[in-house]
Amino acid sequence: MTTLTRQDLNFGQVVADILCEFLEVAIHLILYVREVYPSGIFQKKKKYNVPVQMSCHPELNQYIQDTLQCVKPLIEKNDAEKVAVVIMDKEHHPVERFVFEISQPPLLSISSDTLLSHVEQLLRAFILKISVCDAVLNSNPPGCSFTVLVHTREAATRNMEKVQVIKDFPWIVADEQEVHMPEPRLIPLKTMTSEIVKMQLYVEERAQKT
Amino acid sequence: MDELYLDNIDEYVNDHNKIVTYKWLSLTLGVHVNTAKQMLFHYLDHKRKESSAPLHATYLVTGKWVENGNTSHKVTVVREEQLEDVKSKMSFTVSVHVYSVQKASLKDSGPLYSVDYDAVKDNLNSCSRYSAITCADAVPFAPGDARPAGAGLQFPTPDPHQIRAPPSFDGPGHQTASKAPAKPQPKGIMGMFASKAAPKKQEPDQEIKVEQKEDTTTADVSKIKSASKSSTMSNFFGSQATKRTEKKVKEEEPSSCSVKDNSESSPPAKRVKETPNEEKVKETQPKEEKVKETQPKEAKVKETQPKEAKVKETQPKEVKVKETQPKEAKVKVTKEAKVKEAKPNARSKSKRKEPSDSEEDKMETKKRRRIKKPQSDSSDDDDVIPDSPTQQEMRKPPPTPERLLKEKIVSQPNECKRRKRRRVMKSHTFMDEEGCIVTEKGYESESYSESEEHAPSAKASNVVPARAATGKREDEKKTKKKKMTSPPANKGTKQASIMGFFQKK
Repeated sequence: MTTLTRQDLNFGQVVADILCEFLEVAIHLILYVREVYPSGIFQKKKKYNVPVQMSCHPELNQYIQDTLQCVKPLIEKNDAEKVAVVIMDKEHHPVERFVFEISQPPLLSISSDTLLSHVEQLLRAFILKISVCDAVLNSNPPGCSFTVLVHTREAATRNMEKVQVIKDFPWIVADEQEVHMPEPRLIPLKTMTSEIVKMQLYVEERAQKT
Repeated sequence: MDELYLDNIDEYVNDHNKIVTYKWLSLTLGVHVNTAKQMLFHYLDHKRKESSAPLHATYLVTGKWVENGNTSHKVTVVREEQLEDVKSKMSFTVSVHVYSVQKASLKDSGPLYSVDYDAVKDNLNSCSRYSAITCADAVPFAPGDARPAGAGLQFPTPDPHQIRAPPSFDGPGHQTASKAPAKPQPKGIMGMFASKAAPKKQEPDQEIKVEQKEDTTTADVSKIKSASKSSTMSNFFGSQATKRTEKKVKEEEPSSCSVKDNSESSPPAKRVKETPNEEKVKETQPKEEKVKETQPKEAKVKETQPKEAKVKETQPKEVKVKETQPKEAKVKVTKEAKVKEAKPNARSKSKRKEPSDSEEDKMETKKRRRIKKPQSDSSDDDDVIPDSPTQQEMRKPPPTPERLLKEKIVSQPNECKRRKRRRVMKSHTFMDEEGCIVTEKGYESESYSESEEHAPSAKASNVVPARAATGKREDEKKTKKKKMTSPPANKGTKQASIMGFFQKK
């Protein structure tokens, strides 16, 4: 089995595509499970051969897609360290944070799993874990909203500010208020290690939510 | 039986926060499914007595269900809260057992499927090793047997009396009286997925059956006309249709074939019908739509393929297809009824295409108006531009069937260019007496060749609002520009628009 390196097939792009697809599904699922939006806007769709809940609301979908479009170049260059989906209460204080820590091996190569079916299996497990996470989390107060924060390595964001990936969709440096969570509780959800990416999902939860 | 299994389940449920289904448990621990069900039941009982952390459970209930006078055998997974309710509603409960135990309260049933998916996939060769559903006749194919793929995929009718698999499990007597030893479900490999998939599959099964019946009845009503179409169309597009790998299509083909056999088709009608359509057929994509439009039975193909076809197709091609039919009705009067029937059928069956359908309906009704009154004034400006190229199409078919009737018709479509004259809606921009730029539209005859016909229709389509997912960007821009300029200019307002000055009409 030939070894495909990062140069072949523009492998970085392939991995970034896979991760962004996964993050899209995961974000929709988090919004569904944590009841950020009413469940009526969600519809069952199929991903990785299992049913997942995806939103039908066009603006919400567009927002999530635009967000991930901007994150994709960072993942390609392996600049994105963490992607966090933060759920905030009415006063815009974070209540919960779903953090996806992503790291890619420096020399990307796949040797055996050309169809990436093993990766698919691992991503399926992530999806399943998100579905049952409400067992370990306290329920959120009503009227929550969400945002996506990206923690990058070094100064990758400077490039982002110079080159707007999507017009009229600017990224700004997050406020301290949005980032800092008092007394967070850490609940690990899932880890995966594969040839193309290592990912970890955990939830940071505020001790007192209401 | 030692009590270790209780600890095992406890570990899975509480420590790992897993959803433990009976199927997953049986595959993981290597026990028969009925044992697994008992284990879960005992565990739940035990934990409830201890009243420790809250646990949620789902149950599988099967029994006779009467609804609107129809009796059916219902297999359903219910939450614990709904269990008593469902049990009381069933006229006769055949079996109730624990389906899964988990800490989380599930919002929907999706994760239940995901849980079993990987476990089954890992044990695909022996997934029914611990299953209680067996059938002595179901044996794997010998390697030498080459059976066509379609035959293997036919779902047998879920007839409870026909398939009654006796349990071959004679282990420790876990068969309690309250449980039915075997559920009447599809046998063999499908039995693996039976208990979970039965509710799902029975519905699509029944849906397919119902739709096939619907198809045959509508086919009978317009027997000769639709059958002639179907026989020719399915012959012509047979290769295209079979390329579609969806199962539903395969199941439809038998039904369409049977109708074909029953009917008789008149050759000239067949030919005339075929060739004008063939002229339009340049690529595979319009062919897909033909399959949709010309075959009311195979309108289901439209349903299953809307996602792929929709991405590729453009509106006017569909509209064009629909519109050629009323034109051809002039040749054969009887066909009109069929065509109109085909449209409601196609419309009623295409549930997924609702947004584009409503536009098509609008376009259709506008088209119908236009057929009767081709000289209608340019009062509704937005419609004029998109309609005009399609009217070109409508004008085209009448001369051609007549022409072809005279000649010997070969099955191949005429790909060569032909110059024809057609009436085109052209707009003239000029300065009127008050110094305003006015655009007036009028019909003119113009000669064109076949190859040009597709381009204007593609442009016009994209004026139709939003939901059509396709549309080349440049076309959209052009049409948007047109749209911008035409309303101010055509309404004959006294204000000259800036854009009108620069636009050529």
